[in-house]
Amino acid sequence: MAQRVEPQATGAARPGDRHGGVAGVGDKALGAQVREARRRRARRARRRFLAIRLTSLVVVFGAWQLYGMHTIAILFAPITTVLHQGYLLFAHDQLGSQLGYSMWTFVCGYAIGVAVGIVLGMLMGAYRWAEAAVSMYVFALYATPMVALVPIISLWIGFDATAQIVIIALFVTWPMTVTVFHGVRQIDAELMEVSRSLRLNRRQMWVHVLLPGAVPYVITGATQGVAMGLVGVIIAELQTQLSGLGDALQTQSQTYHTAAALAVILLIMVLGVGLRAILGLVQHRAVPWLRIDRGDGAQR
Amino acid sequence: MASVEMASAPGDGRRVVGAGESGRSGGDIACSGLYKWYGDSAVVAGLDLYVAQNQFVCVVGPSGCGKTTLLRMMAGLASIDSGTIAISGRQVNGPLPSVAVVFQHYGLFPWKTVFNNVALPLRASGVAKGEAARRANDALTLVGLNDIGDQYPAQLSGGMKQRVGLARALAIQPEVVLLDEPFAAVDAQTREILQEELLALWSRYQQTAVFVTHSIDEAITLADRVIVMGTKPGRIVDDIEVPIGRPRSVASVRRHESYTPLRERIWDQLRGSSTAGGERG
Ligand SMILES: Nc1ncnc2c1ncn2[C@@H]1O[C@H](COP(=O)(O)OP(=O)(O)OP(=O)(O)O)[C@@H](O)[C@H]1O
Ligand SMILES: [Mg+2]
Repeated sequence: MAQRVEPQATGAARPGDRHGGVAGVGDKALGAQVREARRRRARRARRRFLAIRLTSLVVVFGAWQLYGMHTIAILFAPITTVLHQGYLLFAHDQLGSQLGYSMWTFVCGYAIGVAVGIVLGMLMGAYRWAEAAVSMYVFALYATPMVALVPIISLWIGFDATAQIVIIALFVTWPMTVTVFHGVRQIDAELMEVSRSLRLNRRQMWVHVLLPGAVPYVITGATQGVAMGLVGVIIAELQTQLSGLGDALQTQSQTYHTAAALAVILLIMVLGVGLRAILGLVQHRAVPWLRIDRGDGAQR
Repeated sequence: MASVEMASAPGDGRRVVGAGESGRSGGDIACSGLYKWYGDSAVVAGLDLYVAQNQFVCVVGPSGCGKTTLLRMMAGLASIDSGTIAISGRQVNGPLPSVAVVFQHYGLFPWKTVFNNVALPLRASGVAKGEAARRANDALTLVGLNDIGDQYPAQLSGGMKQRVGLARALAIQPEVVLLDEPFAAVDAQTREILQEELLALWSRYQQTAVFVTHSIDEAITLADRVIVMGTKPGRIVDDIEVPIGRPRSVASVRRHESYTPLRERIWDQLRGSSTAGGERG
């Protein structure tokens, strides 16, 4: 009798399993065919996606170009002029160093905002006492337009880079905190019960459950934070010491160099898109369990 | 054959599941005067239950009668409002290290590979890395999944996920295994295969087990003893020995002469104990 049950326990192919199965030569060839077909389908889907995107870009920039060519220069400018002005700003003005300055304050403020957001959000999500102690301030600040605080911050800290970094951090922190908080709360209740049943101690709970469980939300928060942070950069630079990209924008638009102003705006947009793309790559690397091939040719 | 043997190779001194052959590994469970209230209603009221060493007990009962609540109390996951539970003589007032739970929705961490899911409780309880890896692999071999250790749960079928859940429970060499409708979420065919595997495992490595199910067939197939619970409040309405020897198979149980009378008796008890309840699976 015992012998009869052996094959059951040893992981040979069984009905009801998607996995396993001894592949014969024919099966192998079929498998290769299926994989190849799926790859082809995926490639086609990717190409289609790119084609639509390219078409859209051509249409929008084409319309921009046409409209720009038929309006007065003080109101709008064709894309070619804008790009040329952008080049001139880089080559003969200080757009390069202004960009560098803005990026530097952005990175500092963003890093602080994200770090504070992760810590606060995780604590609030994981511990009732932390939620009781600080959540109302977090939600109050989350609901307050941070622009309102800028004059006060200037009053306290001044108008220099430090003040700008604090302002940027404030823009990033609250949405980040709220997102991470909800993320921790959304970790499956059954998994929390499993962790208790496995007798994980506090440290193990953080390492194996809370932190990895919150990673997708941390990345979502960090992605939203890019947009918030860029708003913070421009507002900080316009409202404190005029500097960086904010300076470029203000100077060009106040002197009615519309094409140059548009070039700065375009640069800020490109920054936003680029930073988001970088975070997308980070997400792809950091959350391997969410990019599992579901057999539909689409990778998540 | 070889891979199962490997798990209990002579001279390796430790087995994935305790020493079932000698019948000394399981713990006993003694519940006395258990009460549990949710709000104003008693979900479990004055329940007494003794599960002997190495006994496989199935609990059936209408939906909402308190089976999960009872199991969670045994697992130390739900507080006991009154009464006591002792497992191998130790009072339960939190999860015990000698008790493993198999969850209905598998309870696997999606961010951990299969191997790491199984190794986690071992590492968490301080087993050295190499030893934990060996035991996790042994447990995976036991459920026939040793070759997919590096996959993520999302890549597995329901049946495979529950095998991983089982492997994780067995890897810690528990004295008691508690299972809450572990096969409820898989299709009928896979369910039968899993039952067959569980029978095979248990005929080799006996273990005290409490297995909650909605299926009368499953209860008779697996159990040495079937507890029928009634509802409002949750209590035991029948306690039936299953006079079918081991080793068993799903088919041999169905053919056994006491199968039909047992099935009818449990049905009658369920009908009598509830108008709303009944068999789901
Ligand atoms: N956390 C809770 N709060 C309030 N009531 C609860 C809670 N958990 C369970 N109950 C109630 O206790 C009763 C028993 O629940 P339990 O989950 O133990 O039933 P069950 O027998 O496992 O049912 P099923 O067969 O449907 O799984 C139910 O009426 C349920 O509504
Ligand atoms: Mg239940």
